[in-house]
Amino acid sequence: MLCYKAWRESQTRFVLSAFTIAGLCALFVLFQGDARAGFDSEPLTYTGYIWRIIYKGYLRELYVFLVLLLGVGGLLRERDYGTVGFTLALPVSRWRLVSVRALIGLSEVAILAILPALVIPVLSPFVHESYPRTQAIQFSLLWTVGGTLVFAMAFLASVVFRGEYSAPVVALVVLLAYSAIADLPALDRFDVHDIMSGAATSDFRLDTSLITGPLPWMAIAVILLVSCCMVVLAGRITQTQDL
Amino acid sequence: MSTNTARSLRKVSHGDLLSPPLYSTAWRDPLSACGLVGQFCRAKPVHFWQAAKTTIKMLLGMTHPTAGTGTVLGRSITDSAENREMRRHVAYVGEDKQLYAYMTVEQLVRFTMSFYPDWQSDVAQRLLKQYQLPQNRKVRALSKGMRTKLALLLALARRPALLILDEPTEGLDPVSIEELLHALVAAAGEGTTVFFSSHQISDVERIADRVCIIDHGRLVADLSLDQMRQDYRRITLGFATQPPTNEFKIHGVHQVKIVGRQVTVLARENSDVIVECARSLGAVSVDVDPSGLREVFLETVKEEA
Repeated sequence: MLCYKAWRESQTRFVLSAFTIAGLCALFVLFQGDARAGFDSEPLTYTGYIWRIIYKGYLRELYVFLVLLLGVGGLLRERDYGTVGFTLALPVSRWRLVSVRALIGLSEVAILAILPALVIPVLSPFVHESYPRTQAIQFSLLWTVGGTLVFAMAFLASVVFRGEYSAPVVALVVLLAYSAIADLPALDRFDVHDIMSGAATSDFRLDTSLITGPLPWMAIAVILLVSCCMVVLAGRITQTQDL
Repeated sequence: MSTNTARSLRKVSHGDLLSPPLYSTAWRDPLSACGLVGQFCRAKPVHFWQAAKTTIKMLLGMTHPTAGTGTVLGRSITDSAENREMRRHVAYVGEDKQLYAYMTVEQLVRFTMSFYPDWQSDVAQRLLKQYQLPQNRKVRALSKGMRTKLALLLALARRPALLILDEPTEGLDPVSIEELLHALVAAAGEGTTVFFSSHQISDVERIADRVCIIDHGRLVADLSLDQMRQDYRRITLGFATQPPTNEFKIHGVHQVKIVGRQVTVLARENSDVIVECARSLGAVSVDVDPSGLREVFLETVKEEA
């Protein structure tokens, strides 16, 4: 039932996020003709257009922002709402409370990442285009990895910083700082934005905007490990907190 | 029978003493109801409500004590595994009675029952009817009185060994207070130990059989109410002339107040000896009345000040 609680707490944010991502994907696909004409550069292929506007562009940025909002919450927020006493009086450990919330949140992050892979290949035939399903799934995997890191940042921030807006603002600032640092030549292979957009893959073809080589597994493993450490750290902090 | 103890338990945060050092306080089950009363907003920086709230939070493992140890139902409050096991048998109702606003009454009941294998569905159903709680209404749409009843239902349907309440009557209307006190008395009657904090002395006096008084963040009295009713006496003495000022230093005298020709003695014991002494000193009128908790409380905190 802790899963149910975690789900109910994030339900509104998740459903709104899902409708926003799926709806925008559908709009970008169904009105691709007008949207493609709006680009100033040379004529775009359909796959290039999808990459520019969804997997690299606005929708990816929106996804990052929505994931960041999914990450906030937890016992400090409950303290502000006055329900923390009821929650902590339940015969469950704080670690379990934290891990269940993280599990539900990461599942939601993954589902949001999968939505473009469900919508784009299905709707593309309606505008006489096609988008490779395997490409869409690979991008979903990359979004899930990037989303996991962003979620973990917001998750950790909401354990440390009290206040409705403090945690998301701090997480956003940390994310911006991370993005700036990841632009350094030695660290650019760990730039989460490049990983999510596929640009970090060794054989990413700019002319077709398709991933043709293997995914950057080392960078993915490092990012997942760092995310896992942040969630564990959040659990450790929660265990010692006075609530 | 299991023991609840608090030994030198205290909490300091950012240099402020948040909770009193509770020295060697111990109470044993079965005990029907124990009230924690104190002064409100007098002893800066320790207010009674804060001290009581922090103490309760430490007992439940929500806040980690700076020093000291304690046990609830024989289980350590500082060991997380023992504390979790203890919480299976302890119910807690916080001061503001906030529950998950996004759930309906029915959802919250089902959520809570999933954590307690010994949940009494018949008790929950009976209390739902008795409290007239609308099962499909969201918690956010409930009044504070209704939320209090729901919190009580969630606590009592588990038949807890110990029920801890923080300012249970705070913010409630008189009808809700009455219903709440009845429920607490009934719970105590069914074998649940009730431990609660309050600055409403009349509420404490009605339902508690033991009282701990906190003043300036310190535990200054730990009384059995039955014993108090039996022993504490207010003796009002009238004298024809100016009464003697230093003649009442007798064992058992708690407080002496002289106003004109009238002497009021609050006696903790030995009231017969005090009356005899007063008569020998020429008292023309002697009235002996049982003393209430309010009077004992006021005199205790005055004495400590």
